[in-house]
Amino acid sequence: MLKIEHLRKKYKSFTLDCSMEVKPGCVTGLIGPNGAGKSTTFKAVLGLIHTDGGCVEIFGKSMEAFTPEDKQKLGVVLSDSGFSGYLEVRDIVPVLENLYNTFDKAFFLKQAQRFGLPMDKKMKEFSTGMKAKLKVLAAISHNAKLLILDEPTVGLDVIARDEMLEMLRDFMEGEEGRSILISSHISGDLETLCDDIYMIHQGKIVLHEDTDVLLGSYALLKVNPGQYAKLDQRYILRRRRESFGYSCLTDQKQYYLDNYPQIAIEKGSIDEVIAMMARGEA
Amino acid sequence: MKGLLIKDLRLMVKQQKIFSSVVFIAVLLAVVTGNTFFIISYMTFVASLFTLTSISYDEFDNGNAFLFSLPITRRMYVKEKYGVAMLLGGGLWVVSTVFAVAVGEMKKTVPMGDTLIAACGILPVMLVMLAVMLPVQLKYGGEKGRMATIVMVGGVFVVAIVLARAAQWLGIDVEEFLEKLQMMDAGTGAAVAVAVAAVALLVSVRASISIMEKKEF
Repeated sequence: MLKIEHLRKKYKSFTLDCSMEVKPGCVTGLIGPNGAGKSTTFKAVLGLIHTDGGCVEIFGKSMEAFTPEDKQKLGVVLSDSGFSGYLEVRDIVPVLENLYNTFDKAFFLKQAQRFGLPMDKKMKEFSTGMKAKLKVLAAISHNAKLLILDEPTVGLDVIARDEMLEMLRDFMEGEEGRSILISSHISGDLETLCDDIYMIHQGKIVLHEDTDVLLGSYALLKVNPGQYAKLDQRYILRRRRESFGYSCLTDQKQYYLDNYPQIAIEKGSIDEVIAMMARGEA
Repeated sequence: MKGLLIKDLRLMVKQQKIFSSVVFIAVLLAVVTGNTFFIISYMTFVASLFTLTSISYDEFDNGNAFLFSLPITRRMYVKEKYGVAMLLGGGLWVVSTVFAVAVGEMKKTVPMGDTLIAACGILPVMLVMLAVMLPVQLKYGGEKGRMATIVMVGGVFVVAIVLARAAQWLGIDVEEFLEKLQMMDAGTGAAVAVAVAAVALLVSVRASISIMEKKEF
């Protein structure tokens, strides 16, 4: 569906070098701290910035060969950009209708009503939640095959986030083979939605794992210096010095549960994995 | 392309208060002074400015990033902007010309023939103005674009002075050349003006496409 190979973009103090893949029928998450390169990756994939190397393929086509007809199959949400705030929802309906051959006006209007989006209010006067819902609604209303969503839940409260995730689940259930690439720095969003997760840090992918494996096999070992000295280090991905000794990230939770029953082992949440991958030592 | 056009037209409808004020001023001055030339040039000029405003609206809050993720190309975007400019500028030019002729005839201030000649003279000026302002606006955006336009107008004067001095130095009589231009019959003059405007516009479209192709959002 989407394949990125060594996509490179150099800025003065930042270099992106990213490889990843979104498979048909999958929801893939891209997670990482602010400034890690998530938005740069999205912008490069969408051709909004020029790249310094590598290749991006969407639906098996390179970005250079990508046409507006191909773009019809994409649904895009960008965290810091959208329709002009001076427009109203009723203004964007004919715009979308004329931009997308398969725009489902009835669906759009029904969902807009469901989410309480006023038709005759300037979008700049919308709440953060309303703006975010409208962006996602516009992305899913034209039978897209691939959604590219950059931080779609940013600034949303818990209820609004749940509603949005529900919209995305409905989208995935709508037709076989649909995919989503979604970025967020709120791991909870991704834990329940994504099939696999890429973690990006300082412009590089530092981890790729199925969500089930990430939540099931990753763990944090909390050990004192004595326990640390005796610990089998083969399955330790990252370690960090703490006041009590060391926190160690492993992707072999069961191994340590079986062999080191005396040490404290905490189930690895995505937040903890990010923190360890970003700040821990290899 | 049609979707973009609808977006821009809808955005312009939102500015109907400004537009109404422009029409009111034009009507007021036309009725009071009977100056038909002013009506046509003012309305046509303002219509062209609406296109520049639409570019500012697109840029507002980083809107371009989302805009170019839609099924359009940068080339299509540029063509649509020139299309809007022609549609609005041309449309208001026709309306204001008809209005000016009517005012001239009713107030018996300007003969219809003179109004029509003035209207034909304004059209290439508007096109050249757009040819200069659109790429500047696309390149530098709203705030910087205005400054760049002022600098460019100043630059045009400087270049004109330098060219006049250079012509003098080469022994070319500039005054005689200008007199020859004035002596030119209306048909040839109009043809030259339209040709200059058309070339300027073509160069402008190419420059705008190149500017947009290089931009990052």
